[in-house]
Amino acid sequence: MKLSSLTSQDCSKAAVLFNSKKRILEFISELAHEQLPHLSQQDILNALLNREKLGSTGIGRGIAIPHGRMSGADKPHAFIIVSESPINFDAIDNRPVDIFVALIVPDGDCQLHLKTLSTIADRLKDKEFCKQLRSAKTDQELFQVIASEA
Amino acid sequence: MYAENTFLIQNKLGLHARAATVLAQLALQFDAKIMLYQDDKEAEGDSVLALMLLESSQGKEVRVVCEGPDATAALNAIGELIAQRFHEQE
Repeated sequence: MKLSSLTSQDCSKAAVLFNSKKRILEFISELAHEQLPHLSQQDILNALLNREKLGSTGIGRGIAIPHGRMSGADKPHAFIIVSESPINFDAIDNRPVDIFVALIVPDGDCQLHLKTLSTIADRLKDKEFCKQLRSAKTDQELFQVIASEA
Repeated sequence: MYAENTFLIQNKLGLHARAATVLAQLALQFDAKIMLYQDDKEAEGDSVLALMLLESSQGKEVRVVCEGPDATAALNAIGELIAQRFHEQE
């Protein structure tokens, strides 16, 4: 599985400007609803908010992976958003977050979900990749970084 | 101090993001270097990204190796967390 196969240029947003956890999750839900119109924006937002209530998806080093399991999702979809300035996200290391790799995944398939998580972890563990994500100035540049894998 | 043991992943969802985060938060509390091994993969216990790379699913055996002053306490705590299915229902 490749990260680029889970996303598209329309799902990659560079240099967005938000200042709160709630606002960035709303933005993700709007973006996801545009790509998956059969899922309501409110249902997507609720799935993301409910997951954050169980514990922040801020996994450290300025990265968060907000996600929602939704029975209406046909396959895993990733939305990659880089914020112009880092947002307080209650992350594990208390560092504010500027890289968001959001996931809408089908409910039920545990193996597929673990595979999806390892696919994104494999890219995000590379500090140079994160640096390139942060440097991207346009959505197109951001998606080029994501798509440039061996 | 050195301590190691092998634990069976019992929760239905395996080492998904939330379970990995809970484990990493626990690992950070101890003065010990904590490594997890599964099949041919290894991960630092305090790194959520590394733990997610293990793709540990229900039924997998994970070897936990702890080194440092808190090695035994860390191993016991991690073993208990895994046995309690990361506080998940199933």
